[in-house]
Amino acid sequence: MAERPDAAKQRMRRTLLGVVPVTSPLYALHPLTRLHTLVFLGVVSLFIDVPEINIALVLLILIYLRWARVDLSGLRIYLPLTVTVAIFMFTVSIAFPNRDPSFHTFRFAGITLYAESLYWTFASYWRLMAMLFGTIQYFSTNRERETLVAIRSMRIPFAVTYFLSLALRAAGMFLEDMRTIREAERARGLDETSLSLRDRAKLYAMYMIPLFTIAIRRTDEISNALFARGYTISGKIEGGGKRSDYIHTKYVFRRRDAILITVMDVLLCGAAAARIFLGAFAVAQSPLRQYFLTALSG
Amino acid sequence: MDAATIRGLGWKYGGRDTFAITDVDLSIPAGSFVSVVGPNEHGKTTLVSCIKGIIPHSFHGVWRGQVEIFGQDTRSLSAQRLAQETGFVFADPEAQFTSMTVEEELAFGLENIGLSLREIEQRLSWVSALTGIDGLWDKSPYEISGGQKQRVAIASVLAMKPRILILDEPTSMLDPLGKDAIFSILLQIKRETDMTVIVVEHNVEQVAPLSDLMVLVYSGRIARAAPPAEFFQDCDQLVEHGIQPPQATMFLDRLRREGAFHGRLSARFEDDLEALKALLGPPAGQGTRP
Repeated sequence: MAERPDAAKQRMRRTLLGVVPVTSPLYALHPLTRLHTLVFLGVVSLFIDVPEINIALVLLILIYLRWARVDLSGLRIYLPLTVTVAIFMFTVSIAFPNRDPSFHTFRFAGITLYAESLYWTFASYWRLMAMLFGTIQYFSTNRERETLVAIRSMRIPFAVTYFLSLALRAAGMFLEDMRTIREAERARGLDETSLSLRDRAKLYAMYMIPLFTIAIRRTDEISNALFARGYTISGKIEGGGKRSDYIHTKYVFRRRDAILITVMDVLLCGAAAARIFLGAFAVAQSPLRQYFLTALSG
Repeated sequence: MDAATIRGLGWKYGGRDTFAITDVDLSIPAGSFVSVVGPNEHGKTTLVSCIKGIIPHSFHGVWRGQVEIFGQDTRSLSAQRLAQETGFVFADPEAQFTSMTVEEELAFGLENIGLSLREIEQRLSWVSALTGIDGLWDKSPYEISGGQKQRVAIASVLAMKPRILILDEPTSMLDPLGKDAIFSILLQIKRETDMTVIVVEHNVEQVAPLSDLMVLVYSGRIARAAPPAEFFQDCDQLVEHGIQPPQATMFLDRLRREGAFHGRLSARFEDDLEALKALLGPPAGQGTRP
């Protein structure tokens, strides 16, 4: 089938974990604002145990990604991770529950389950998911350069951004190398879909050997390349002046960025204060929990 | 003035028993185009790494002799000063990429030497037009084709406008079209800039016509250093040292040995063609043949 002309024209931009259309409205936001979403979504769930709010946060993230024109079908690759985490957490919770005598119990498939313990696992799982999706949204929509611009906007010392930039570049190259190795395997007839989960896990373990070998070799190459291009850790130029920051000037911090950052900061501080001083967002305040326990009692 | 002066240079990598290069003496005139040729593992990359200053700055080993660029000892110069004086394009372009977009890659070296933002923008425009990479700025340097990668690698060094530009086997990973594109850029650099260009290259046929000086490195020594017109006078010696002279030159050399040609050998196809035409005389019906 022929590709739609507008789709054919759609230019995509590769991010750290995915691809986003160049025309995405997300790029109207300054990288610092985008980095702030990572901090906000990563931290705010620490103060919220109520799963309904964390589920709402996950939905909010999905809406945000949809608005940013990210292909949500790409998130399927995280499905095994979310399922594995759920299996692990609930298995531990069922096998080693908190046997508090005041907890409600019920029998399922011959096993005694502790309702409050199980619900706490459910709440913890969604807290983790909110943090995970917060991280996925950031790395799916941003590139290494945008992270660096955001960090440099905070006037963090050059030596710190130097190490961070190298780490991010190394991560980017690591992913590129992994993609190359996987493509080479597919070219030689490997069909991952026919493998069992166990065999897939083994396959990923096998990737580590060539990936680390390449990474070690690349350390030398990058070191020489940095020297050849006059890079120094001090961030100073010959004669003591400051190194230019060309990429930083490509982004404009607007009023809406300031407003969004302020809103996120206020919400974060509000959530922290409400939790610490007022005991808000505790799991006991979950309406779903109340319904669950009432149903068991009745 | 000489761009580079090498006196009694020797270098032994740490952990090795033998010197990679030894007793190297060479003068490279400013503004000249120099080709360094020779078989693999005979010291070409080591020699140019010494000129760039990567050796001994980034390697452990035993150093002998002296390398000066524009009268300054490379060992006494800082990384930034060396970057301004001498640019280096690695054989594997991916080995020199330090950024995740082409635009950043181009700007990286210019930021390091502290150019103004206006100057950086001007140089990026200039170098992108020269190397034909205008449409690649937003792409990852790892996603583009091999020929484009090499052009980006050259552009990112060229943008720094070094006085000496060193290219270590810039066409070794490219297809014939990609090689032609790189030689076309080299020709433009030679015509449009006053840079001293040093190219390590196996493709003698294409690099020789551009060269003012050809240097043969063999067993870590300079086996021959001469302008192309003299460099190819003894084709047998070149072949013995692993160099394949241009086909037309080899043909005329064969004729010379058979006593059918008495002129001088050249590396330029046009010169060889003229020599052959003179040898054959005018075509039938146009000349004085019976």
